Amino acid sequence: MELFWLATSTIFIGVFGCVAWFWGSNWVLDRILPPRGPKSGDNIRRANQIRPWLFLGPAILFLSMYLVYPVIDSLWRSLHNANGSRFVGTANYQWLAGDAKFRESMVNNMLWLLVVPALATVFGLLAAQLTDRLKWGSIGKSLIFMPMAISFVGAGVIWRFIYEYRAAGETQIGLLNYIVTQLGGQPQLWLTLPGWNSFLLMIVLVWIQTGFAMVILSAALRGIPEETIEAAILDGASPLQVFFKIKVPQIMGTIAVVWTTITIVVLKVFDIVFVMTNGQWGTQVLANYMYDWSFRANDTGRGSAIAIVLMILVTPIMIWNIYNARKEVR
Amino acid sequence: MRITFFTTVAAMALAAGSAQAQLVIEPGSDDRINWQSLDEFAAAHPEIEGQSFNILGPWLGGDQELFQSVIAYFNDATGATANYSGSDSFEQQIVIDAEAGSPPDVAVFPQPGLAADLAERGHLRPLGAETAYWLRENYAAGESWEALGTYAGQDGTDELFAFPYKADVKSLVWFVPENFEDAGYEVPTTYEDLKALTEQIAEDGETPWCIGLGSGGATGWPATDWVEDLMLRTASPEDYDRWTTNEMPFNDPVVVNAIEEFGWFAKNPDFVAGGTGGVTSTDFRESPAGLFASPPACYMHRQASFIPTFFPEGTVVGEDADFFYMPAPESGDLGQPVLGGGTMFAVMSDNPAAMAFIEFLKTPFAHEIWMAQQGFVTPHSGANLEAYDDPVVRRMGEILLEATVFRFDGSDLMPGAIGAGAFWTGMIDFVGGAEAQAVADQIQATWSSLN
Amino acid sequence: MEGMAGQKSSLAWAVNIAAFLLVVLWTIPTLGLFVSSFRDRDQITASGWWQSFTGSEQTGFVRSGTADDQVQQEGLYVIEGNALEGSQTLRAWGIRAREPAAFQPGETAEMDGGIQLTVEEDGTYRMTSPTPFEMTRGERIFTTTVSPPSFTTENYNRVIGATGLGRAFMNTFTVTIPATVIPILIAAFAAYALAWMQFPGRALLTAAVVGLLVVPLQVALIPLLRLHNELGIGKGYLGIWLAHTGFGLPLAVYLLRNYMVGLPREIIESARVDGATEFQIFRRIILPLSFPALASFAIFQFLWVWNDLLVATVFLGNTREQLVMTGLLRELMGSRGGEWEILATSAFISIAVPLVVFFAMQKYLVRGLLAGSVKGG
Repeated sequence: MELFWLATSTIFIGVFGCVAWFWGSNWVLDRILPPRGPKSGDNIRRANQIRPWLFLGPAILFLSMYLVYPVIDSLWRSLHNANGSRFVGTANYQWLAGDAKFRESMVNNMLWLLVVPALATVFGLLAAQLTDRLKWGSIGKSLIFMPMAISFVGAGVIWRFIYEYRAAGETQIGLLNYIVTQLGGQPQLWLTLPGWNSFLLMIVLVWIQTGFAMVILSAALRGIPEETIEAAILDGASPLQVFFKIKVPQIMGTIAVVWTTITIVVLKVFDIVFVMTNGQWGTQVLANYMYDWSFRANDTGRGSAIAIVLMILVTPIMIWNIYNARKEVR
Repeated sequence: MRITFFTTVAAMALAAGSAQAQLVIEPGSDDRINWQSLDEFAAAHPEIEGQSFNILGPWLGGDQELFQSVIAYFNDATGATANYSGSDSFEQQIVIDAEAGSPPDVAVFPQPGLAADLAERGHLRPLGAETAYWLRENYAAGESWEALGTYAGQDGTDELFAFPYKADVKSLVWFVPENFEDAGYEVPTTYEDLKALTEQIAEDGETPWCIGLGSGGATGWPATDWVEDLMLRTASPEDYDRWTTNEMPFNDPVVVNAIEEFGWFAKNPDFVAGGTGGVTSTDFRESPAGLFASPPACYMHRQASFIPTFFPEGTVVGEDADFFYMPAPESGDLGQPVLGGGTMFAVMSDNPAAMAFIEFLKTPFAHEIWMAQQGFVTPHSGANLEAYDDPVVRRMGEILLEATVFRFDGSDLMPGAIGAGAFWTGMIDFVGGAEAQAVADQIQATWSSLN
Repeated sequence: MEGMAGQKSSLAWAVNIAAFLLVVLWTIPTLGLFVSSFRDRDQITASGWWQSFTGSEQTGFVRSGTADDQVQQEGLYVIEGNALEGSQTLRAWGIRAREPAAFQPGETAEMDGGIQLTVEEDGTYRMTSPTPFEMTRGERIFTTTVSPPSFTTENYNRVIGATGLGRAFMNTFTVTIPATVIPILIAAFAAYALAWMQFPGRALLTAAVVGLLVVPLQVALIPLLRLHNELGIGKGYLGIWLAHTGFGLPLAVYLLRNYMVGLPREIIESARVDGATEFQIFRRIILPLSFPALASFAIFQFLWVWNDLLVATVFLGNTREQLVMTGLLRELMGSRGGEWEILATSAFISIAVPLVVFFAMQKYLVRGLLAGSVKGG
């Protein structure tokens, strides 16, 4: 019971502290530069220059402390040797350039980037649209959403029950091999089949991320004004036309957000590969390779160099977002 | 006055109650256990009373409970408080904690490679020459154990930094005695016999071995144990040492030969259950199940002393299943090599109680109290063999004590990038069809590239 | 009009079926885990979970009685017993591992030393010998049996009965709730500033947030824990809240900003014309309109914190008092993590709370959307 009160009070203090900052800092600003009186116009203008930073302040503080600082730290480490004691210049990057495993990881990451965001977004959109007006839609949504709620380790076990291999003639406990053998085929070692295995790992992430896409997209779909759709139906548009010509363009912005978010999840994909193959049989990806070097080999230099490459890969997406943000501002 | 009296009584009753609840064996009750050594230790360290310190280790579940039962006696006798916490991502967490400046007082390393790394970065406290001497004198094959805990410190001088406590015997082959009886097979006593038996079982139309290399993120490690065991049976212990430090390159013919030897077992589809494909994909935890299938999917399974945890429920080790020592070659030149593992205790802070805990681990008591429960093997020659509660574990302990050559799991001695990386993946490639030479070249290339 | 209705109903059918198929496809893997959580370890490795609903044929062995159980009957030494348990039925039996199904029920096997063994269909066996039995360990009788489907709640008993579960549950809530609410608050203000306030460097800052999304968690652990130690925060709840807030913030700002940008400009402009301050606009207009986005992010952040183990062990520690649910469940699985049945069960116990949250939030999703749809009108 004591713990309960401790928990409740700490929750209260934590949340209250945040609210107090935003409310209090705005109040102070309004007192110093009151938006009325003789100099109100001037005051409002100056307050409007300061206020964004009050709103952004805590976020910028957190982002720089918890994300920018580690990035700078990684950059520094990537230019040093295994335990950070000696400056080695770009040696770690040179090593990366010649490393076969690194190239394999890059190629695989690119494949993941092509396949997963596309499939997850398409399935998410499909799920959102299909379950939209159904009586049992919310149950359906919850079931599709469920994989999101399972930890990656749990997901690893779940998919083991799908991909597990037993020699021909034995009882298959993997669903996929069971189906294959029932159809008269030979059981396969799915996770060791070059080319196939990466794709099979991608399916796991698609399975998880579809729920994410569905939730966001279904909110967007419902945000489309009824009148627009009704008008299109009265004009004789078929349901398919309504979907592709009216709904999809309306939520294009949200689709882009979902796509971007999943792309970034894919860039960072680690747990699935780590749990299911650990990057063997040609399934290595950058984040797992980074983990290998940082925590298995205890070589923070190389590990950080891989992390920096990972972060550089996101540049095109950043540029595209700057472009979009400018367009929105106009 | 009265109130204080009552609260004191209540506090004492509470303290007694909780302490009694933790001590699994009534102190002084079991004469196989050297209680005197515990009392003497406590008497020699009155200064740590009231101190508390943290121990971080890799043990979870059953092992965690057992280790906590050992700590309970330490706490009870000395009045200090040792808190153990286990983590399945120990390797990662210890590095993070040490580098970030909040290390535990004592760390339990599952592999010496990691401890050596932290010693070099100045995170471990030297245990002193006296402890090193103690190890040489009191552990069977003591010099091997001392070498395991001796690393270069931050200033580059070699010192003892880690104390081995709780060993694992790896050179074991598990089998079902009744299946051997039914088929008329004998337990092989030489390496040549083992190979002959393998061929014979295959000729009988049966499958001799179950080998499973799967282990999620660590897939491949069981193969490294195989290669190490075979290395000790095809090359001298000196070559083995040179191999683990890369004085002898990984692609040296001696090493390639040991890998080929492993291939003799694992790459022959007639010798392994599920064919070679089954080897790479079967999880090591499920692999022994083949021994117990009817008809048997295989007859032998080489794995370390922990594997009975994964036998089917209700299996009685010693009756339903048993093990034999992975035999040495007939010629006898290589002695009776034993491959093993063990956990290493290192002190990471200046807390005097932490250092005293290492002293505690030297007492026969600290070993016997765990032996009297389960799952503990020790090379401590001063510990009473009678204390082993389980005759099967006792036989493992004897293997350890009789070893003429004891070598630690080589992959754990190699740098992490090799021993927990290239070596694992290389073995998967090898069983998957790659040539031993090509795999060894690849591993050596990675090793050479380390800076 | 009627033709259209007919068309509509066939379309409705198609939608229903397609949605159903999609849901089934997405549920099958989890269903497998769910079924497995009610099976014991031997069952899990012996047959596929989809076969657990039908009677399954198993081959195994039981041990006969030992010399202690023998009685003398008509000059023979006899050991009797039953080789079946529960509601199994016997298909075949044998005395050697290699031929576990050599005999039919009712047949008699001849063993060494004149010993005879008969196993009947109901599982009763009778082993006779002209000389006294001497074994201390029973003979193996291999049986091929058909068992009806059997499920166990033992796994759940083990997980729910684990010591410290209540404590871990409380700990998890103590970590999760502030770690969900604080980033949302901070991100909502920041997102509003990025979406609707004019200031230099806005686009760059937005892009920086996208860039920070990709920072891998693993590289941040050591520098941040060091920072916490140097600042004197050390390990504890404060540290883990701050860490989760930091790690969750980029996604929160990104999602919320993109949602807020899409809100109708007219409402905000007209409020500004009416003399509302930015803080009032934010509180009275933006926050209520952004409810669906806030709710959906809350779900994701909640899930992420709930399922997290890495950040918790690093920033909170993992002694008994500090353990969170994931940590406790991990501990139950043992050092080598081979207990799939516990894993399956744990996954389902830890999934329960997030699902409840999802259902609860779904109501708000809809309510927020109703408010949002006003914008079109």
